[in-house]
Amino acid sequence: MDIIEIKNLKHRFTDGTLGLDGINLKIRAGAFVVVAGPNGSGKTTLIRHLNGLLLPTDGCVKVAGVSVQKDLMRARRLVGMMFQDADSQIVGETVYGDVAFGPENLRLNHDQIRERVALALDVVGLKDFAEQRPHLLSGGEKRRLAIAGILAMEPRVIAFDEPFASLDYPGVKQVLRQILTLHQAGHTILVITHDLEKVLAHADRLILMQKGKIVRDGVPAEIVGDIETFGVRAPCAFHLGMEVRSWLN
Amino acid sequence: MAELTAFSFQPGTSLLHKLDVRFKLLFLILISLVSLGGGSTGLGVLTGLVAGLSIHSRLPLKSGFKEFRFFLIFLVLILVARMLTTPGTALIEIKSIAITRSGLISGVLICWRLVIIALLGFLFVFTTPSSEIKAAVEWFLKPAAFIPGKRIATMMGLIARFIPVILNQAKETAEAQRARCVENRRNPLYRLVRLGVPLIRRTFEQADRLIVALEARCYSENRTDPALSATRTDWFALFIITIICGWILSS
Repeated sequence: MDIIEIKNLKHRFTDGTLGLDGINLKIRAGAFVVVAGPNGSGKTTLIRHLNGLLLPTDGCVKVAGVSVQKDLMRARRLVGMMFQDADSQIVGETVYGDVAFGPENLRLNHDQIRERVALALDVVGLKDFAEQRPHLLSGGEKRRLAIAGILAMEPRVIAFDEPFASLDYPGVKQVLRQILTLHQAGHTILVITHDLEKVLAHADRLILMQKGKIVRDGVPAEIVGDIETFGVRAPCAFHLGMEVRSWLN
Repeated sequence: MAELTAFSFQPGTSLLHKLDVRFKLLFLILISLVSLGGGSTGLGVLTGLVAGLSIHSRLPLKSGFKEFRFFLIFLVLILVARMLTTPGTALIEIKSIAITRSGLISGVLICWRLVIIALLGFLFVFTTPSSEIKAAVEWFLKPAAFIPGKRIATMMGLIARFIPVILNQAKETAEAQRARCVENRRNPLYRLVRLGVPLIRRTFEQADRLIVALEARCYSENRTDPALSATRTDWFALFIITIICGWILSS
């Protein structure tokens, strides 16, 4: 079953720039998709259409069979989004308060909120940090907190926008491990990045974007060969003629 | 790790952290109003109260003092203005400019009151999450059907959320400019413009990012607010504060 269906999606910004130009895309439930491309290729613009943060100039985006435009709240509940800058995503004054923010917006009662927050913090391993101030967490912990905030809304799809940006090695491993756990738990995962090194070993599909269009789409091993002609660096292992390995090994 | 401004909520277990936000807001208003009419004895009692609460709540007075430095300049200006403009017996006289005794006393009292009110605000923000402030404002505005309580409460909650962010950005921008020797420029207007323009731009950019993050998590005015419940401690605190305020007004 396809959880995301995009038909002829176009997006033009208010200054006239064409952000997306005729995107057609289907993503099956439970997939692990990496969307790569150089800066300005339209990756972030594309995923912001999945939960209605941006609306199409033309075309249609459906999540689980329903148009995003028809029911924005449903789309935002089903598609969780982790932004590049985890700090700007943190809105609570404590770790608990931040994770509770989404369920509070869904108007759940206090018991349900407590239950969801406890579960989400447990999944990301931040249970003992509940009363901590979020801004004092490390980079990796902040990303995990952002993931917990998304999980508390019980989404089916989770989109990560440059999840490894400005993280140290332990931070990258923490976040990557978290993404894989979520995938194993049945979530559809979309990772937007121009740094394939850290995540490609786990993806079952690679989509390459350039100038607002999808220029390659397929199994990573099959399309990674000419990826550098589109401004994305191929993983080192590929240059050495080796298999791309996980950062967790 | 990010260093936060002292003007932000800090989780804790002090009495003020435990009090119901509606009572805290009421105390803040009551004490501020009473301090406006209080003399030196009353202000002394209030200072003792505020100092005691600050120590008990572990208010970071040292870093708070640094953040208060611009406020202190403002206080000095008020003091000087009062000393020079209030008629009375001259303490010092230079040509036609006279510093009067009554001006000095009235200036000190005004500054004292403002410091008490500012410290109370500081304590309130330090011990209360913005979600609770929002819920309390909404609760107080509920009886006034013609006032859009939810909207006002949401705006106040966002302001409370944003003040530390703006102060943090001001600090970062100032540090970046100091790293490029801005202190060599003696013209304060030049420095203000150089700090103000990027700060405003960054604040708007940050506001944009925050709005997108809020939208992605289904933010709306109609959300589950924190449960507000008054305990015996709240009523006892109200009793004590009322007695203190009554005594100050009558003395």
